[in-house]
Amino acid sequence: MDEEPERAKRWEGGYERTWEILKEDESGSLKATVEEILFQAKRKRVFESHGQVRLGMMRHLYVVIDTSRTMEDQDLKPNRLTSTLKLVEYFVEEYFDQNPISQVGIITTKNKRAEKLTDLAGNPKKHIDALKKAKDSTCGGEPSLYNSLSLAMQTLKHMPGHSSREVLIIFSSLTTCDPANIYELVKTLKALKIRVSVIGLSAEVRVCTVLTRETGGSYHVILDESHFRELLMFHVKPPPATSSSECSLIRMVFLFSLPPGFPQHTIASISDQDAKPSFSQAHLDSTSGGPGLSMGGYFCPQCQAKYTELPVECKVCGLTLVSAPHLARSFHHLFPLEAFQESPLLLHHTERFCEACQGELKDKSVFTCPSCNSVFCVECDLFIHDTLHCCPSCIHSRSAP
Amino acid sequence: MSAEDEVSLLVIVVDVNPIWWGQQANREPQFTLSKCLDAVMVMGNSHLVMTRTNKLAIIASHCQESHFLYPCKLWKFGDGHGDENASTSGDGKYELLSVANDFIAEEIKNLMSRTEVKGNQTDTLLAGSLAKALCCILSIKMLTGQEMKSRILVVKAAEDCALQYMNFMNVIFAAQKQSILIDACVLDSDSGLLQQACDITGGLYLKIPQKIALAQYLLWVFLPDSDQRSQLVLPPPVHVDYRAACFCHRNLIEIGYVCSVCLSIFCNFSPICTTCETAFKIPLPQVVKSKKKKLKPST
Repeated sequence: MDEEPERAKRWEGGYERTWEILKEDESGSLKATVEEILFQAKRKRVFESHGQVRLGMMRHLYVVIDTSRTMEDQDLKPNRLTSTLKLVEYFVEEYFDQNPISQVGIITTKNKRAEKLTDLAGNPKKHIDALKKAKDSTCGGEPSLYNSLSLAMQTLKHMPGHSSREVLIIFSSLTTCDPANIYELVKTLKALKIRVSVIGLSAEVRVCTVLTRETGGSYHVILDESHFRELLMFHVKPPPATSSSECSLIRMVFLFSLPPGFPQHTIASISDQDAKPSFSQAHLDSTSGGPGLSMGGYFCPQCQAKYTELPVECKVCGLTLVSAPHLARSFHHLFPLEAFQESPLLLHHTERFCEACQGELKDKSVFTCPSCNSVFCVECDLFIHDTLHCCPSCIHSRSAP
Repeated sequence: MSAEDEVSLLVIVVDVNPIWWGQQANREPQFTLSKCLDAVMVMGNSHLVMTRTNKLAIIASHCQESHFLYPCKLWKFGDGHGDENASTSGDGKYELLSVANDFIAEEIKNLMSRTEVKGNQTDTLLAGSLAKALCCILSIKMLTGQEMKSRILVVKAAEDCALQYMNFMNVIFAAQKQSILIDACVLDSDSGLLQQACDITGGLYLKIPQKIALAQYLLWVFLPDSDQRSQLVLPPPVHVDYRAACFCHRNLIEIGYVCSVCLSIFCNFSPICTTCETAFKIPLPQVVKSKKKKLKPST
């Protein structure tokens, strides 16, 4: 089926002398080397800018968590399952932070079956509650890749063409128990343009390699918990869109909320429903306690159905309800900030202070923005690229975004 | 953990747009930039005096640059005063406050006299000042290492600059992620960007009815920090208009169309996105196959 050349495995490579990375200085201390390693760890994130590549901004992602017998292993503390659930909670929060108009669903697989923990939804709270409850569940049996993928496929194939359909599998077992030929399923997934990525917790499994290669995803095996976190964070950024994904105009509504008791006469388009408490559509089928009655909220302009949180798809009329800041959160993906150039401190004896935080420059290297040539320290550089997404000095030199 | 160990940092960003303040001097001669800065200094002094561990920073936001009025780069935020010219004030005032006030007055005079306004740059660079304030807060957090609550107070005079929208939103989301409140005290015209900033980060927005009473408003509304605000009666939250502006006419719209590639907003359906020039698939009405009618056999 596939004759692509396999990568050379690590044990086939030459003999590496990893102890040579540590070098002692004259007094015999390793301080300089340790500082260097810490500094490199801070800069480890590779800022690859995709350039002029189209990104899939609206994403429908299913996370499949393997809850089979091997998840009780204690190589990740306290056991693999607890550690995975905690990291997936963090992943869900970061995911909605970076992709506010996307949706996530969670599937678990054990005992040769797969079941949905939460449905595809745009609200992080439901997923985080479900993940917290899942910590008490038992692990057992074998996972089933076929069943979990077909369960995800049943929902994803109905998603509109402009969104990117993805599945992320966290796979810890070395075996899978499938009722039918999984290679046929891989062909179907490829036809439906569903991208499957796998994060392995034990070792590389051939069927996962084939699955990810055919569908265009990525496959990594973790080394330790911090590597696991890094690999998960890798999937938070929107992936490049496949060439076959359709582009379309999506009809959306931009809403603003009314604080309770706001006088209606100032806004012409809002009806009298606002002053009275009413039920929210989202709470009608929730099983968690508490009445769904609330005063303030968002009303769909087409059908006047009420929702407490955005973004949401109206259950009655199918319209997507968002608020403008949700779209603004994704803008930095479209205009990514270039990586700053690193240079040693000795070359910059004229500037002693970081432009952004006004602190003294005391690290051994400084970072220069290529457009405005201002100098920043290590912490400001990390903050600017991770959280701020715009150079503070460039905003000053030209007032256009 | 006693309340004395908690460090609270207040960063005040003052809009010193020379064009607006120049026009203001003609409109209302009793409220000028120096009166405004007096009020800001009173606020800063009060914050420093509330708790021993409080810290302060003041940034002046000009048309061409953002300048830190306090503290000086050579100081470590009030921990060391290496300045030999710091004279003790004759009236027994707390030295930290008198030195700070003198320094601020000196810096603002230098700033206003040395910068010239060129023709096309008339907007205050507020987004840039906020970005610098965020970096500064972060670096102090790294330095002190303790738990620190921080907030930014913006004193805004001139109008909004629409070109800064995206940078402004980036700064707001960064502040929300770091749990930094943004409060806004607006002197003249309402600012939609600052209303959104206060709503998203959880701060307070206030448009002052009487500019002369600026010091009173600052002390009443903006001096208490976020824990104490729940117990006080403060101005009610403003209604924020989150409607987006369409890219073609700049009208505020409620229902619109969003391009799935570049997220630009349009008020009408069009076959091509003007921003990214993608051709869209137009949803055609589905053709229903006509059912073949069964012919009844004629008897």
